[in-house]
Amino acid sequence: MKRIPAPAILLVSGLLAYCLLISPFVQYMRNKPIEEKLGFVPSVKLIKPFSADQKELVGVSLVMKVLMYYGGVIDRVTSSPELAEQADLQGMSRLLHGAVQLDPYNMDAYYFAQGFLTWDARQFKVANDLLEYGMKYRKWDWYLPFFSGFNHAYFLKDYAKAAELYKRAGDLSGVNLYKSLAGRYMQESGQTELAIVYLTAMDKNEKNPAMKKSYQTRLKAFREVRRIEVARDLFSQKHRALPASVDQLVKTGLLRPVPVDPYGGRFYLEEDGKVKSTSKFAFPVTKGETSNAGH
Amino acid sequence: MLNIMMITLKGIFRDRVFQGIMVLTVLFLFIPSAASLSMRQVPELSITLSLSLISFILLLLSVFLGATSLWKDMERRYTFSVLSLPISRSSYLLGRFFGLALFLVLTAAFLGTAACLVIKVTSGIYPPDRPVVWSWLVLAIVFATLKYILLVGVALLLSTVSTSFFLPIFGTICAFLASGITQQVYEYVNSPAAAEAVPPLLKPIVALLYYLLPNLSGFDLKVNAIYSMAPNLVGLGITAGYFVAYTSILLGAAALLFNRREMK
Repeated sequence: MKRIPAPAILLVSGLLAYCLLISPFVQYMRNKPIEEKLGFVPSVKLIKPFSADQKELVGVSLVMKVLMYYGGVIDRVTSSPELAEQADLQGMSRLLHGAVQLDPYNMDAYYFAQGFLTWDARQFKVANDLLEYGMKYRKWDWYLPFFSGFNHAYFLKDYAKAAELYKRAGDLSGVNLYKSLAGRYMQESGQTELAIVYLTAMDKNEKNPAMKKSYQTRLKAFREVRRIEVARDLFSQKHRALPASVDQLVKTGLLRPVPVDPYGGRFYLEEDGKVKSTSKFAFPVTKGETSNAGH
Repeated sequence: MLNIMMITLKGIFRDRVFQGIMVLTVLFLFIPSAASLSMRQVPELSITLSLSLISFILLLLSVFLGATSLWKDMERRYTFSVLSLPISRSSYLLGRFFGLALFLVLTAAFLGTAACLVIKVTSGIYPPDRPVVWSWLVLAIVFATLKYILLVGVALLLSTVSTSFFLPIFGTICAFLASGITQQVYEYVNSPAAAEAVPPLLKPIVALLYYLLPNLSGFDLKVNAIYSMAPNLVGLGITAGYFVAYTSILLGAAALLFNRREMK
């Protein structure tokens, strides 16, 4: 009998082992915890000299890494909220800060950081500092003062600073709406409308499916809130008193159809008439409290 | 010298290393789809990726072809037959250098055309907020080419003193990495913040290295091309002058060393 040569045995056994292992390996990689996927990235001080003349490219790759990771998290949250893992917001922020140190002009980094640092991480100062840093470089860009103005008005209630930033955004973009935003919506009563204008602007040019989904869900929630607010105001004009509940507005026919919270919560009215939801306008998370984007 | 130049050019086009590296140009085809992953700056990302790819290909070519050109000739004993002709060692070396430089210019022109097509396609599909300024894009490619021609000079200088290809290849890579950060290190060492943290002896050493090593960060105009920001034309003029001066020093030193080299 002819002997099979050793290299052939090695090749065949290697192929067999590969076929047996590849499926569990792919499964294992796919189900790896999200934290592990974002992974360890060395400090920017180290990356900078080694990226030589490719700093912009390395900056882009850091942003993409965060974006892919976030896309994965959002997909899991929307498909099965009860199993959802909490996003590593700090890690995401660290990577994006690294990216703008490598390329301070990278708009994706600022835009994306603004997206999650405010609504999800509630790190308004970190977000504003980052935007301030970006404004030093992207002097022509109206988005950065627009974002920062929104943060100051909506989250920090610093209307003077917000007016100044909205004016800058208006001057740069030539759109008067941003200038008038400062004056028009700065009272507590105009907050929902302010958020709707902001989210519409964000959603308009969004191409990334994960981000678009996130904006549209929030926009849907705020539009429902606005409907309830309009019905509430009509009710109080008519009855000279605040309605007791959202149900009362539905029953009196002022609110049709019944408002639905896209985050799965139930709308209710606080004693002072403020519209809130049991979902706190965030998908449920299993641990910690990431997103309690209040209204 | 002109003959050596043309022979160098022909030799490179037949070289397997060149053919292998040029396979990377296929990556240009994937740039539009990769750039569409960006949220707010698709055309900018396509420019970033195109310029990075050009830069990477030129780096590989200048390191691997520049550093092995002389070594290969000596290894194949080709130098003996050439130098037995009525041709000086200096013209042989300069012929090699200008052949390599011309080759880099031709490659950059080819890659630049491919890049312009790719950027035209992406900016046609996703119109940019700030229009692409083509002249600054071309300027960025021209200065990237000058940078790698200078690097070829470094590789040739190291080749004249080395008997193997290790020193030219790794020496050139190290010079390239160092050249990108010398400015930063020099500025840090001379800043008030470093006055206490840095030992006084380090200052003159850093200054020496800063003037000795090539400063290639001035040749990087990627940011200007990507975000359509006007470059400083006077600064570019000085950088071009720096290129001529530094390359002359490199070639002069290389020719002197090559003339004195013992050939066995």
